[in-house]
Amino acid sequence: MIQAGVIGVGQTKYDAKRRDVSMAGLVREAIDNAMLAANLEWDAIDAVILGKAPDMFEGVIMPELYLADAIGAVGKPVLRVHTAGSVGGSTAVIAASHICSGQFKTVLTVTFEKQSESNATWALSPRYPYSPHINAGAGGYFAPFIREYIRRYEAPEHIGWKVAAKDRQNALKNPLAHLHIPGIDEKMVSDTPMLWEPLRYLESCPSSDGACAMVITAQDQVGSRNVAWIKGMAVRSEGTLSAGRDEVNPQAGIDCAKDIYNQAGIQNPFNEIDCAEIYVPFSWYEPMWLENLGFCDLGEGWKLTDKDATAIDGELPFNMSGGVLSSNPIGASGMIRFGEAALQVMGLAEDHQVEDAKVAMGHAYGGAAQFFAMWIVSSSLD
Amino acid sequence: MSDSKDLLRAPFELAYNYKRSSGPVMSKFFEALGQQKILGTKSTAGKVFSPAAEFDPETNEPLKEMVEVGPGGVVESFSWIENPQHHHLIKEPFAFALIKLDGADTSMLHMVGQCKEADLSIGSRVKANWSEIQEQRITDIKFFTIEK
Repeated sequence: MIQAGVIGVGQTKYDAKRRDVSMAGLVREAIDNAMLAANLEWDAIDAVILGKAPDMFEGVIMPELYLADAIGAVGKPVLRVHTAGSVGGSTAVIAASHICSGQFKTVLTVTFEKQSESNATWALSPRYPYSPHINAGAGGYFAPFIREYIRRYEAPEHIGWKVAAKDRQNALKNPLAHLHIPGIDEKMVSDTPMLWEPLRYLESCPSSDGACAMVITAQDQVGSRNVAWIKGMAVRSEGTLSAGRDEVNPQAGIDCAKDIYNQAGIQNPFNEIDCAEIYVPFSWYEPMWLENLGFCDLGEGWKLTDKDATAIDGELPFNMSGGVLSSNPIGASGMIRFGEAALQVMGLAEDHQVEDAKVAMGHAYGGAAQFFAMWIVSSSLD
Repeated sequence: MSDSKDLLRAPFELAYNYKRSSGPVMSKFFEALGQQKILGTKSTAGKVFSPAAEFDPETNEPLKEMVEVGPGGVVESFSWIENPQHHHLIKEPFAFALIKLDGADTSMLHMVGQCKEADLSIGSRVKANWSEIQEQRITDIKFFTIEK
């Protein structure tokens, strides 16, 4: 199979309102940074793969067409990817698949959200006739799954506060992160209002504007560039309301993780993966995904979090960049995880770099926790 | 078939309030409309885009240099609307037209009003007419009329 590698990651500054740029200007900011990092000219790009969350979020239908000039796609193959919150991850997987197909040498992929142009929660919960108005948004949807996790494994409530504080402390090391909360700690989190029990205000992701882009190329195109080699990648889905579905520990997540570990030859993910950027939009998803992704046995995830295994200097650092809890331009949030994993193995993560990171994982989930996308990147091809 | 009058129907109005950030380039274009001026963006190769474009579709370069174009131009193509519907902005017969403004290399979609179909042809000279109230929107140009 043709080996694909990431040679450039570009991100915008994430913020609640990037009123200084248009949607086109926002995606271009990320693309310019990725192209600069990859040291490539436009004529090297064979195709452009764009992902974002529902078009309702900005009210621009098929934005890949409106954005064609900004993303350098005029006259080139363009593909739009749409898998809810996991879209940033599945877009990266699909972009890399273009390289592995042998039909494309180098592709540009970009994902974005400009949440300040509307209100995502209301776009997710229209007031349909003959139906109760859910008005839920993502937090209200996931809170019951989290309560069930806590019930099953008797997890203490401070675990959520701990994840929220840890990811925001990491964000202080990442100048691009949306939330920079000086002095953030567990007490500050636990003092914030309850939004959806057991989730408090600071246990929830922000609403951000931002974009993330990557340049992915084939092995014979890399030259002397710094590369994050893609050793395994997969997407999985399951039915939102299928009978017997375990929302706390979705089968699609288990299967997706097993697939990428097999591709990458990983036997023991906890020992063999140096760090991971995992999609944690609400604090409790860290212990839940530790278990779902096979880093530990069921019921053990919260214990790993509790003993600081996921801290930036822990045994398995999670979300060194600050994660979704610190920056959440929805459509881009998955690609940020994949791109940050690449930056770690390229040694380019600056102040939030994990020392000697050679193998990293990027993860995204979306919808009602039924869409998954993951990859493993490595500093070496072998 | 059942009588559809007996079946339930309910209004479902899907509406969100969106707020656009037009960015540094398009903001200048819209602000100029508010001052009854039409701007375009000029590429390093000298090509002028109006309405302003933020990026050159051929070279991908970001376009920043603003130049004034129009208010006169040439009809490049048009579609005659003999019976305007309720959603049309002009209630008399008019044309949707692609208009290449003087000084521009691309054309702008707008309307040509106050004329008969027979008076309008590809190549007709037209000129911008301004709305009474300027709102920094494309409708600040009320429509174009044939240049006398």
